[in-house]
Amino acid sequence: MMTSVVLAVMLGGVWLAATYRENGSRAILLPDQVMTLFPDPKPLTAFAFTDHENRVFDLSRLKGKWSFLFFGYTHCPDVCPTTLATLARAHESMVKSTAGAKDVQFVFISVDPKRDTAGKLGQYVTYFDASFLGVTGDNAQLGNLAGQLGAVYELAITPGVDNYPVYHSAAVFLVDPRARYHAVFAPPLDAEAISRRFELLRDLEGPEAT
Amino acid sequence: MKSRHLVGLIWALIPIAAAAEGADVSVRDAWVREAPPGVSMMAGYMVLQNNTSRAQMLVAARSSGFESVMIHRTRVKQGLTGMEHAPQVELLPNANLSFAPGGYHLMLLNPKRALRAGDRVDITLEFRGGLVISVAYEVRK
Repeated sequence: MMTSVVLAVMLGGVWLAATYRENGSRAILLPDQVMTLFPDPKPLTAFAFTDHENRVFDLSRLKGKWSFLFFGYTHCPDVCPTTLATLARAHESMVKSTAGAKDVQFVFISVDPKRDTAGKLGQYVTYFDASFLGVTGDNAQLGNLAGQLGAVYELAITPGVDNYPVYHSAAVFLVDPRARYHAVFAPPLDAEAISRRFELLRDLEGPEAT
Repeated sequence: MKSRHLVGLIWALIPIAAAAEGADVSVRDAWVREAPPGVSMMAGYMVLQNNTSRAQMLVAARSSGFESVMIHRTRVKQGLTGMEHAPQVELLPNANLSFAPGGYHLMLLNPKRALRAGDRVDITLEFRGGLVISVAYEVRK
Protein backbone atom coordinates (compact mmCIF):
# COMPACT_ATOMS: atom_id res chain seq x y z
CA MET A 1 0.00 0.00 0.00
CA MET A 2 1.72 3.13 -1.18
CA THR A 3 0.71 6.64 -0.23
CA SER A 4 1.72 9.13 -2.79
CA VAL A 5 1.99 12.81 -2.14
CA VAL A 6 1.97 14.40 -5.51
CA LEU A 7 2.60 18.04 -6.12
CA ALA A 8 2.79 18.53 -9.78
CA VAL A 9 2.40 22.17 -10.56
CA MET A 10 3.75 22.58 -14.03
CA LEU A 11 3.48 26.02 -15.44
CA GLY A 12 2.95 26.53 -19.12
CA GLY A 13 5.73 25.67 -21.48
CA VAL A 14 5.30 28.98 -23.22
CA TRP A 15 6.27 30.78 -20.06
CA LEU A 16 9.29 28.55 -19.64
CA ALA A 17 10.48 29.07 -23.17
CA ALA A 18 13.44 31.34 -23.69
CA THR A 19 12.35 34.50 -25.41
CA TYR A 20 14.24 37.44 -26.80
CA ARG A 21 13.64 40.66 -25.04
CA GLU A 22 13.45 43.35 -27.67
CA ASN A 23 14.88 46.20 -25.67
CA GLY A 24 17.59 44.40 -23.77
CA SER A 25 21.07 43.10 -24.08
CA ARG A 26 19.86 39.91 -22.44
CA ALA A 27 19.41 38.65 -25.98
CA ILE A 28 23.11 37.80 -26.14
CA LEU A 29 22.42 35.08 -23.57
CA LEU A 30 19.65 33.55 -25.63
CA PRO A 31 18.73 31.04 -26.80
CA ASP A 32 20.61 28.81 -24.41
CA GLN A 33 20.60 25.14 -23.47
CA VAL A 34 22.25 25.70 -20.12
CA MET A 35 20.13 28.53 -18.73
CA THR A 36 16.58 29.56 -19.59
CA LEU A 37 15.95 33.23 -18.86
CA PHE A 38 12.46 34.55 -18.40
CA PRO A 39 11.43 37.64 -20.34
CA ASP A 40 9.62 39.02 -17.30
CA PRO A 41 11.01 37.66 -14.04
CA LYS A 42 8.13 36.66 -11.80
CA PRO A 43 8.02 38.09 -8.25
CA LEU A 44 7.75 35.29 -5.70
CA THR A 45 5.15 35.51 -2.95
CA ALA A 46 5.38 34.67 0.75
CA PHE A 47 6.52 31.23 1.94
CA ALA A 48 8.00 30.02 5.22
CA PHE A 49 10.73 27.44 5.73
CA THR A 50 13.25 26.79 8.49
CA ASP A 51 16.96 26.68 7.72
CA HIS A 52 19.52 24.21 9.09
CA GLU A 53 20.29 26.57 11.97
CA ASN A 54 16.60 26.68 12.91
CA ARG A 55 16.17 30.25 11.67
CA VAL A 56 13.14 31.31 9.66
CA PHE A 57 13.83 31.18 5.95
CA ASP A 58 11.17 33.23 4.21
CA LEU A 59 10.80 35.59 1.25
CA SER A 60 12.91 38.27 2.96
CA ARG A 61 15.91 35.90 2.97
CA LEU A 62 15.85 35.85 -0.83
CA LYS A 63 16.14 39.65 -1.07
CA GLY A 64 19.46 41.38 -1.75
CA LYS A 65 21.12 38.22 -3.08
CA TRP A 66 21.06 36.01 -6.11
CA SER A 67 19.80 32.63 -4.89
CA PHE A 68 20.41 29.26 -6.50
CA LEU A 69 17.67 26.90 -5.32
CA PHE A 70 17.70 23.12 -5.66
CA PHE A 71 15.02 20.68 -4.46
CA GLY A 72 16.19 17.29 -3.21
CA TYR A 73 16.62 15.04 -0.16
CA THR A 74 19.64 13.73 1.71
CA HIS A 75 18.86 10.02 1.16
CA CYS A 76 19.54 10.61 -2.53
CA PRO A 77 22.68 8.80 -3.70
CA ASP A 78 23.06 10.04 -7.27
CA VAL A 79 21.44 13.28 -8.44
CA CYS A 80 21.57 15.36 -5.24
CA PRO A 81 25.25 14.88 -4.32
CA THR A 82 26.19 15.29 -7.98
CA THR A 83 24.25 18.56 -8.22
CA LEU A 84 25.53 19.93 -4.91
CA ALA A 85 29.13 19.08 -5.84
CA THR A 86 28.60 20.87 -9.17
CA LEU A 87 27.11 23.92 -7.45
CA ALA A 88 30.02 23.96 -4.98
CA ARG A 89 32.44 24.09 -7.92
CA ALA A 90 30.36 26.81 -9.59
CA HIS A 91 30.45 28.80 -6.33
CA GLU A 92 34.21 28.34 -6.06
CA SER A 93 34.61 29.72 -9.55
CA MET A 94 32.36 32.73 -8.74
CA VAL A 95 34.40 33.43 -5.61
CA LYS A 96 37.51 33.67 -7.80
CA SER A 97 35.86 35.99 -10.32
CA THR A 98 36.34 39.75 -10.18
CA ALA A 99 32.81 40.41 -8.94
CA GLY A 100 33.14 37.70 -6.29
CA ALA A 101 30.24 35.82 -4.75
CA LYS A 102 29.21 38.00 -1.82
CA ASP A 103 25.78 38.57 -3.33
CA VAL A 104 25.15 34.88 -4.02
CA GLN A 105 23.62 32.12 -1.91
CA PHE A 106 22.95 28.45 -2.54
CA VAL A 107 19.90 26.86 -0.95
CA PHE A 108 19.16 23.13 -0.83
CA ILE A 109 15.42 22.68 -0.22
CA SER A 110 14.66 19.25 1.22
CA VAL A 111 11.29 17.88 0.13
CA ASP A 112 11.69 15.13 2.75
CA PRO A 113 11.19 16.96 6.08
CA LYS A 114 10.30 13.70 7.81
CA ARG A 115 13.86 12.39 7.51
CA ASP A 116 15.79 15.61 6.93
CA THR A 117 15.94 17.35 10.27
CA ALA A 118 17.79 20.66 10.67
CA GLY A 119 20.81 18.83 12.13
CA LYS A 120 21.01 16.35 9.26
CA LEU A 121 20.55 19.08 6.68
CA GLY A 122 23.31 21.18 8.21
CA GLN A 123 25.81 18.30 8.18
CA TYR A 124 24.81 17.46 4.65
CA VAL A 125 24.96 20.81 2.88
CA THR A 126 28.07 22.12 4.63
CA TYR A 127 29.95 18.97 3.56
CA PHE A 128 29.72 20.29 -0.01
CA ASP A 129 30.34 23.97 0.79
CA ALA A 130 30.49 25.67 4.18
CA SER A 131 28.30 28.52 2.90
CA PHE A 132 25.46 26.35 1.59
CA LEU A 133 22.09 26.55 3.31
CA GLY A 134 19.72 23.65 3.90
CA VAL A 135 16.06 24.50 4.40
CA THR A 136 12.81 22.60 4.66
CA GLY A 137 9.19 23.10 5.68
CA ASP A 138 5.86 21.37 5.81
CA ASN A 139 4.22 19.99 2.71
CA ALA A 140 2.00 23.03 2.23
CA GLN A 141 5.00 25.39 2.25
CA LEU A 142 7.12 23.11 0.05
CA GLY A 143 4.22 22.87 -2.39
CA ASN A 144 3.81 26.62 -2.27
CA LEU A 145 7.35 27.48 -3.36
CA ALA A 146 7.64 24.49 -5.70
CA GLY A 147 4.46 25.66 -7.40
CA GLN A 148 5.77 29.19 -7.83
CA LEU A 149 8.92 27.85 -9.49
CA GLY A 150 7.24 25.18 -11.57
CA ALA A 151 9.15 22.53 -9.61
CA VAL A 152 7.69 19.10 -9.00
CA TYR A 153 8.29 16.44 -6.39
CA GLU A 154 6.72 13.26 -5.16
CA LEU A 155 7.36 11.17 -2.05
CA ALA A 156 6.43 7.53 -2.43
CA ILE A 157 6.04 6.92 1.31
CA THR A 158 5.43 3.28 2.15
CA PRO A 159 4.50 2.62 5.79
CA GLY A 160 7.22 0.66 7.57
CA VAL A 161 9.79 1.24 4.84
CA ASP A 162 12.67 3.58 5.67
CA ASN A 163 14.12 3.91 2.23
CA TYR A 164 11.11 5.22 0.35
CA PRO A 165 11.87 6.76 -3.00
CA VAL A 166 11.56 10.47 -3.67
CA TYR A 167 11.14 12.01 -7.09
CA HIS A 168 12.01 15.63 -7.69
CA SER A 169 12.92 18.26 -10.27
CA ALA A 170 16.61 18.13 -11.08
CA ALA A 171 16.73 21.75 -12.28
CA VAL A 172 18.43 24.59 -10.42
CA PHE A 173 16.27 27.71 -10.03
CA LEU A 174 17.78 31.18 -9.98
CA VAL A 175 16.02 33.90 -8.00
CA ASP A 176 17.26 37.47 -8.37
CA PRO A 177 17.97 39.94 -5.53
CA ARG A 178 14.43 41.31 -5.81
CA ALA A 179 13.10 37.83 -5.05
CA ARG A 180 11.93 37.31 -8.61
CA TYR A 181 12.20 33.95 -10.35
CA HIS A 182 14.70 34.96 -13.00
CA ALA A 183 16.15 31.86 -14.70
CA VAL A 184 16.45 28.11 -14.53
CA PHE A 185 19.39 25.78 -15.20
CA ALA A 186 18.45 22.42 -16.69
CA PRO A 187 20.47 19.23 -16.22
CA PRO A 188 23.00 17.98 -17.14
CA LEU A 189 24.58 20.70 -15.03
CA ASP A 190 28.13 21.91 -15.54
CA ALA A 191 29.88 24.11 -12.98
CA GLU A 192 31.80 26.26 -15.44
CA ALA A 193 28.79 26.78 -17.70
CA ILE A 194 26.65 27.81 -14.72
CA SER A 195 29.16 30.27 -13.30
CA ARG A 196 29.91 31.82 -16.70
CA ARG A 197 26.23 32.29 -17.58
CA PHE A 198 25.47 33.65 -14.16
CA GLU A 199 28.32 36.16 -14.20
CA LEU A 200 27.22 37.41 -17.59
CA LEU A 201 23.63 37.71 -16.40
CA ARG A 202 24.65 39.51 -13.22
CA ASP A 203 26.72 41.99 -15.24
CA LEU A 204 23.83 42.66 -17.59
CA GLU A 205 21.19 42.99 -14.91
CA GLY A 206 23.47 44.93 -12.60
CA PRO A 207 21.69 47.45 -10.41
CA GLU A 208 18.40 46.85 -12.22
CA ALA A 209 17.98 43.54 -10.45
CA THR A 210 18.96 44.78 -7.02
CA MET B 1 69.80 -12.76 -6.73
CA LYS B 2 68.08 -9.43 -7.30
CA SER B 3 67.42 -10.08 -10.97
CA ARG B 4 66.03 -13.54 -10.18
CA HIS B 5 63.49 -11.87 -7.91
CA LEU B 6 62.62 -9.42 -10.64
CA VAL B 7 62.15 -12.18 -13.20
CA GLY B 8 59.97 -14.03 -10.71
CA LEU B 9 57.86 -10.92 -10.20
CA ILE B 10 57.44 -10.40 -13.93
CA TRP B 11 56.39 -14.05 -14.42
CA ALA B 12 53.94 -13.66 -11.57
CA LEU B 13 52.38 -10.56 -13.13
CA ILE B 14 51.88 -11.96 -16.61
CA PRO B 15 48.77 -14.04 -15.84
CA ILE B 16 47.11 -11.01 -14.19
CA ALA B 17 47.79 -8.82 -17.21
CA ALA B 18 46.56 -11.54 -19.53
CA ALA B 19 43.39 -12.01 -17.52
CA ALA B 20 42.59 -8.30 -17.70
CA GLU B 21 43.37 -8.12 -21.41
CA GLY B 22 41.47 -11.18 -22.46
CA ALA B 23 38.45 -10.77 -20.19
CA ASP B 24 35.04 -10.98 -21.82
CA VAL B 25 34.04 -7.87 -19.92
CA SER B 26 36.51 -5.38 -18.48
CA VAL B 27 35.86 -2.55 -16.07
CA ARG B 28 37.69 0.75 -15.79
CA ASP B 29 37.36 4.01 -13.84
CA ALA B 30 35.45 2.28 -11.03
CA TRP B 31 34.65 4.69 -8.21
CA VAL B 32 32.23 5.32 -5.37
CA ARG B 33 31.21 8.81 -4.29
CA GLU B 34 32.12 9.51 -0.68
CA ALA B 35 28.97 9.96 1.40
CA PRO B 36 28.34 13.25 3.20
CA PRO B 37 28.13 12.86 7.01
CA GLY B 38 25.01 11.07 8.21
CA VAL B 39 24.22 9.60 4.81
CA SER B 40 24.06 5.81 4.40
CA MET B 41 23.31 5.67 0.68
CA MET B 42 26.15 5.79 -1.79
CA ALA B 43 26.50 5.36 -5.51
CA GLY B 44 29.10 3.47 -7.54
CA TYR B 45 30.15 4.30 -11.09
CA MET B 46 32.34 2.67 -13.76
CA VAL B 47 32.84 2.06 -17.46
CA LEU B 48 32.03 -1.49 -18.59
CA GLN B 49 33.63 -2.75 -21.78
CA ASN B 50 32.26 -5.78 -23.57
CA ASN B 51 35.20 -7.39 -25.39
CA THR B 52 33.15 -10.11 -27.05
CA SER B 53 31.10 -10.19 -30.22
CA ARG B 54 27.93 -11.11 -28.35
CA ALA B 55 25.80 -9.11 -25.95
CA GLN B 56 26.57 -9.47 -22.23
CA MET B 57 23.93 -9.01 -19.58
CA LEU B 58 24.79 -7.61 -16.17
CA VAL B 59 22.24 -9.17 -13.82
CA ALA B 60 23.47 -8.49 -10.28
CA ALA B 61 26.05 -6.82 -8.11
CA ARG B 62 27.05 -7.70 -4.56
CA SER B 63 29.60 -6.65 -1.97
CA SER B 64 30.46 -7.65 1.56
CA GLY B 65 31.19 -3.96 2.16
CA PHE B 66 27.51 -2.94 2.12
CA GLU B 67 24.20 -4.16 3.46
CA SER B 68 22.89 -4.24 -0.09
CA VAL B 69 23.89 -3.39 -3.63
CA MET B 70 21.36 -2.74 -6.38
CA ILE B 71 21.63 -1.73 -10.01
CA HIS B 72 19.73 1.52 -10.41
CA ARG B 73 19.13 4.07 -13.08
CA THR B 74 18.24 7.72 -12.66
CA ARG B 75 15.38 8.59 -15.00
CA VAL B 76 13.52 11.78 -15.75
CA LYS B 77 9.80 11.44 -16.36
CA GLN B 78 7.66 14.52 -16.92
CA GLY B 79 10.14 16.70 -15.09
CA LEU B 80 10.47 14.32 -12.13
CA THR B 81 13.88 12.79 -11.55
CA GLY B 82 13.95 9.52 -9.68
CA MET B 83 15.72 6.23 -9.42
CA GLU B 84 14.44 2.96 -10.68
CA HIS B 85 15.71 -0.55 -10.20
CA ALA B 86 17.29 -1.97 -13.36
CA PRO B 87 16.91 -5.79 -13.17
CA GLN B 88 19.49 -6.23 -15.94
CA VAL B 89 21.71 -4.06 -18.08
CA GLU B 90 22.70 -5.12 -21.56
CA LEU B 91 26.19 -4.48 -22.91
CA LEU B 92 26.16 -4.48 -26.68
CA PRO B 93 28.81 -6.52 -28.53
CA ASN B 94 32.24 -4.86 -28.55
CA ALA B 95 30.85 -1.71 -26.97
CA ASN B 96 31.18 0.08 -23.69
CA LEU B 97 28.56 1.39 -21.29
CA SER B 98 29.07 4.02 -18.61
CA PHE B 99 27.62 3.96 -15.15
CA ALA B 100 27.81 7.70 -14.48
CA PRO B 101 26.10 10.39 -12.35
CA GLY B 102 22.58 11.02 -13.61
CA GLY B 103 22.30 7.59 -15.27
CA TYR B 104 23.07 3.99 -14.36
CA HIS B 105 24.70 3.54 -10.97
CA LEU B 106 25.20 0.91 -8.30
CA MET B 107 23.11 1.93 -5.30
CA LEU B 108 25.11 1.03 -2.20
CA LEU B 109 23.15 0.92 1.03
CA ASN B 110 24.63 1.08 4.53
CA PRO B 111 28.39 0.66 4.21
CA LYS B 112 29.72 -1.72 6.89
CA ARG B 113 32.62 0.62 7.66
CA ALA B 114 33.03 4.33 7.07
CA LEU B 115 34.40 4.84 3.56
CA ARG B 116 36.51 7.92 3.03
CA ALA B 117 38.09 9.34 -0.12
CA GLY B 118 41.09 7.22 -1.06
CA ASP B 119 39.65 3.99 0.40
CA ARG B 120 38.91 1.00 -1.80
CA VAL B 121 35.94 -1.29 -1.68
CA ASP B 122 35.37 -4.49 -3.68
CA ILE B 123 32.13 -5.07 -5.56
CA THR B 124 31.38 -8.22 -7.54
CA LEU B 125 29.49 -7.98 -10.82
CA GLU B 126 27.55 -10.98 -12.09
CA PHE B 127 26.65 -11.55 -15.72
CA ARG B 128 24.21 -13.97 -17.30
CA GLY B 129 25.99 -17.20 -18.22
CA GLY B 130 28.09 -17.30 -15.07
CA LEU B 131 30.70 -14.60 -15.71
CA VAL B 132 31.66 -12.98 -12.40
CA ILE B 133 34.08 -10.06 -12.03
CA SER B 134 35.36 -8.59 -8.80
CA VAL B 135 36.28 -4.93 -9.10
CA ALA B 136 38.03 -2.60 -6.64
CA TYR B 137 36.18 0.76 -6.51
CA GLU B 138 38.05 3.82 -5.35
CA VAL B 139 36.20 6.14 -2.99
CA ARG B 140 36.35 9.71 -4.28
CA LYS B 141 35.03 12.99 -3.05
